[in-house]
Amino acid sequence: MKRDEPENLDLLAAEFVLGTLVGAARRSFARRRGRDPFVDRRVRAWEERFAVLTMRQKPVAPTPAVWTAIERRIGSGSRGAWRALAAAVALVAVLGFGWVVWQELRPPQATAEFASASGETLWHVELAARGDRLEVVTIGQVRVPDARARELWALPEGGAPVSLGLMPVSGEARLALDDRQRAALASAANIAVSDEPASGSPTGAPTGDVLYVAPLTRT
Amino acid sequence: MAQSASTESEPEIARLLADCARKDRQAFQRLYERTAPQLLACLIRILRNRALAEDALQDVFVQVWGRAGQFEDGRGSAWAWLIAIARYRAIDLRRRETRRATEPWTDVDDIPGDEEPQDSGLAFGQRATAALSRCLGALQPRQRDCIVLAYQGGLTHAEVASEIGEPLGSVKSWIRRGLLALKRCLES
Repeated sequence: MKRDEPENLDLLAAEFVLGTLVGAARRSFARRRGRDPFVDRRVRAWEERFAVLTMRQKPVAPTPAVWTAIERRIGSGSRGAWRALAAAVALVAVLGFGWVVWQELRPPQATAEFASASGETLWHVELAARGDRLEVVTIGQVRVPDARARELWALPEGGAPVSLGLMPVSGEARLALDDRQRAALASAANIAVSDEPASGSPTGAPTGDVLYVAPLTRT
Repeated sequence: MAQSASTESEPEIARLLADCARKDRQAFQRLYERTAPQLLACLIRILRNRALAEDALQDVFVQVWGRAGQFEDGRGSAWAWLIAIARYRAIDLRRRETRRATEPWTDVDDIPGDEEPQDSGLAFGQRATAALSRCLGALQPRQRDCIVLAYQGGLTHAEVASEIGEPLGSVKSWIRRGLLALKRCLES
């Protein structure tokens, strides 16, 4: 088929990077990029070539509020200040308390990113260092129909999905984990998001479509 | 903080990204300081609105923090990786805005211009910059203008056509032929 000749694919890749590939064609090409290493390489080659045109633009210093907001969204802004205080108190506190603080300061055990079909990141998920909760940050534009919700699942190796809670539609959420959920996550290579009724799956298993799957990256 | 990306920045940016993948928050802040002004310029140009662009800049860096582990040093330039994240985010937002309102941009005065061609070997070394400049220079002027306009502005064919006042069909064909010529020139 003519459309699939390498040169044509390369041109599609160029128009994807340029931005002139639009709508359904753009989304479908983004999906193809995700599963076809040849297409991915072509896209990256054009990204590299054209990046020079971005570097030609005159830099603009962001206002300080941007960095503050980023710190807050990745969970180190106000909580960072609290951690600093906690660390100071720990200096004079008993060893046990120091250990708790040390746990709090550790980086997350694992992270995952859910992306839409067009490659837009929708949620960033972190498994806290102590393994007792998930932090979910909404990054993209999440659209959920009325009376529906998005539910998060651990997909343990060789076992049934285990619900981890409902995903936020905007902003951040903290999902506390019980022992069963922690065990499921420990043996899961992937987590997933499904379409469910507003109050979550009534059965304890996904009832709607599985919309997104993301690998858990252990850190 | 608004200094131009220096010639030697690429190895440093790649190293900072690798540190971010290990959740080093200091490296992340340093990465932000080194790259945010350049990425903000790119976002403002596409979104044509300073406030929207700064919101997008937040999204970009939250993504970078989450996805730094996906950047593979050696398989590509760190700058190009960051720029791609910023541009796709801006293009997504721009198209969404355009669907919502036909006249979304307000403070057009904010749109940053190009620096004069003192981009000698900015991030990827002299060779890549020189090759792209040479090959762009070899294109027919209209092909070149359409490609640069589409890339920097994040414009669709139709938007390029209305910006330069030429028929849509001509713009599509200039861009396509320009890209083909560019590809042959860059690969030769």
